[in-house]
Amino acid sequence: MAVSYKAVGWNRQKRIYDGVVLAGVLSYLGLFVGSGIVLDAQATLETLLIRGLGTCAFLLLTIILSIGPLARLDDRFLPLLYNRRHLGVTMSVVALAHGVLSLVQFHAFGDLNPLVSVLVSPGRWEGVAGFPFQPLGLAALVILLLMAATSHDFWLANLTAPTWKRLHMLVYVAWALLVLHVALGALYGERHPALVAVLAVAVAWVLLVHGAGALRERRLDPDSVPGARDFVRVCPVDAIPENRARIVSLSGERVALFRYDGKVSAISNVCQHQNGPLGEGCVLDGLVTCPWHGYQYRPHDGTSPPPYAEKVPTFRVRIVDGVVEVHPRPLPAGTPVEPARIPGHPPTEATP
Amino acid sequence: MSDRTDDREFYVGYRGRAPRGIAAFVRGRVVGLLIFAAVLGVGLASLQRPADLGVFEFGEPRELTGIVRERPWPRLELEQPAGDGTARSRYPLVSQGKHGAQQLVAGLDGARVRLRGTLVWNDLATLVEVVPGTLERLEESTLPVVEMEGLGEVTLRGEIVDSKCFLGVMKPGRTKPHRACAANCLRGGIPPMLLVETTSGQRQLWLLVDEDGGPVGEKVIELAARPVEVTGRARREGDLLILAADPTRYRPLG
Repeated sequence: MAVSYKAVGWNRQKRIYDGVVLAGVLSYLGLFVGSGIVLDAQATLETLLIRGLGTCAFLLLTIILSIGPLARLDDRFLPLLYNRRHLGVTMSVVALAHGVLSLVQFHAFGDLNPLVSVLVSPGRWEGVAGFPFQPLGLAALVILLLMAATSHDFWLANLTAPTWKRLHMLVYVAWALLVLHVALGALYGERHPALVAVLAVAVAWVLLVHGAGALRERRLDPDSVPGARDFVRVCPVDAIPENRARIVSLSGERVALFRYDGKVSAISNVCQHQNGPLGEGCVLDGLVTCPWHGYQYRPHDGTSPPPYAEKVPTFRVRIVDGVVEVHPRPLPAGTPVEPARIPGHPPTEATP
Repeated sequence: MSDRTDDREFYVGYRGRAPRGIAAFVRGRVVGLLIFAAVLGVGLASLQRPADLGVFEFGEPRELTGIVRERPWPRLELEQPAGDGTARSRYPLVSQGKHGAQQLVAGLDGARVRLRGTLVWNDLATLVEVVPGTLERLEESTLPVVEMEGLGEVTLRGEIVDSKCFLGVMKPGRTKPHRACAANCLRGGIPPMLLVETTSGQRQLWLLVDEDGGPVGEKVIELAARPVEVTGRARREGDLLILAADPTRYRPLG
C-alpha cells in the first residue's frame, strides 16, 4: 500500500523474488551463450547474445502471461503475482537489450538512421515469406517499454486503475506481435523442426492456460441478480467462512460479503489498486486484505486505514432469518455502513 | 447456525515470511521452472544452424600493396608471388561499417597503392576492409592488363548476399534474418554477390554487374537475401567469377 511514492517499496519477499529472477536470467543467458560457443566454434558472440536475449525475453513474457491464469486456477501461485511488475520490467530490459543489439548489428553504420532502417526493411507486406519481421519486433518493444515506464503506482494512481489496466492489457498485442516476429523472422533462417515446435508449444500453452483460467472463472462466477432495486437475499450467513467472503453480482456490480467477528459487511469486490478481487482475499487484523498485493480496507466503510487513503464503495447489508441480504445500490466509496450482526455471535471487539 | 471456517493459507507479500505450505508450493514450481529454463537455453542453443564458415580478422589489419581497379566494384589486384605477372588475386575493397570503398579509390583506377586492410574471408573469396587514412598512392600500374575469359550465357539460381557480411563479418550473413542488414550494405555500396549452391553441395560466388559491366547499384536492394534466378553473361577474371545481367530482369523465386 502506498501513501507516498518510492521508486520501490522493498521488502523481504520482493528481494527474494528479484534475486531469483536475476539469477534465472543470468543463468539462462550464460547457458545459451556458453553452449553456443562450445557447440559451434564459428558462432559469434554478438549473434549468440542477440538470440539469447531474444529467447530469454520471450520466455519471461510467456511466464508473465501465465501467472495470472495460474493464480486463478490455484491461489498458491499468488506469490508469483505479487511482484509480477518487477518481472515485467526485467523482461522489458532484456527485450530492450535484444532490440538495441539488433539495431546496432543490422541497422547501424549504414547510410540510413537505424530506426528508419527498421521501418523500411525490405520485404513484401502481402506475403508471409517476405513479410518484414523487424518492424513487428520494434512495435512490440515500444509497447513493452511503455508498460515498464508506467508500471509504477504513481502512474496507476494518476491514470486511474481502469485506464492503467486497459493500457497494460496491450501486453497481449505485444505478445502476438512477438509470436509473428519470431515466426516470420528467426524461424525463416533457423528451420529446425524442434524450434518451430517450441514456439508452437509456447503459443499453445499461453492459450491453454488462459482458456482454463477463463473456464474456472466462469464456474466461480458469482450468483447474479440483475436489475434488483431493493434488498436481495444472497445466501445463508453460515455459507460465508469466517474471515472470508462470498462474492455476489448485483445489477452488474460484484459485491464481496465479508464475515468477521460475528458481523457481515459488504464492499465492492474491486480493489482500488489494480482491480484485484477483494472477495478472494480475507480479513487480517480486522482488515479486508486483497489477495493480489495486500491492499487493505476496513470492512465497515471500505476505507484503507490511515495514513493510506484508498476507498471502495460499500453496500447496506442485513441478516433476515439467517440469510444475508444486500441492497444493490452502491454507496459512495468510503461511506460507513453498520455491519449486520450475526445472531448468537457477540462482537469480539469494539469496532462497529 | 453453524460456523464455517476456511483454513487455507493466505499470502501477503509485505509480511516477513510466506505461509509454510504456500512457500513450499512456490519453491517447488520455481525450482522446476529454473531447471526447465536451463534445459531450454542449452537446447535452443544446440538447435541453431551451424554458423557459416568465415573469418573477419577484426583488429588485425595487414599491409597490402597492389593495383586498384575502380569499376565495376572497387578491388585490389595483387600479383601472386610465384606468378608470371598475369596470375593475380583480386580482393574487393570496402570501407568500414556498411559502406563501399568507392570514395576511397575515386581517381585511383590503375594506380599502385599501399594500404592497411582487414581481411574478411571464407572458402570462396577474400575481401579487404580498408583502414581509413591508410591508402597511399605509389605509382601507375606496371602490371599488364589481363584478358577476361568469357564463359557464355548462363542461368543461375541463388541468393543475393552482400559480400562483406557473407564472407565473415556476420553469422549468419545470409537468409531472411539478415535481410535488412544486407539491404543496408548494398545501399552503402558493398558489392552484391550471387551465392549459388548446387545440389551436390558445391558453392560458387558470383560478383554481380549490369549488362554493361557496371555496378548494379540499388536495383538489387529489394532482392537482398532472397532466392533469385539470373540469366546473363558469365566471365572469369582471374579467380573472380562475374555475372553480367540487367538487374531489372532478375527473377525472384520466393
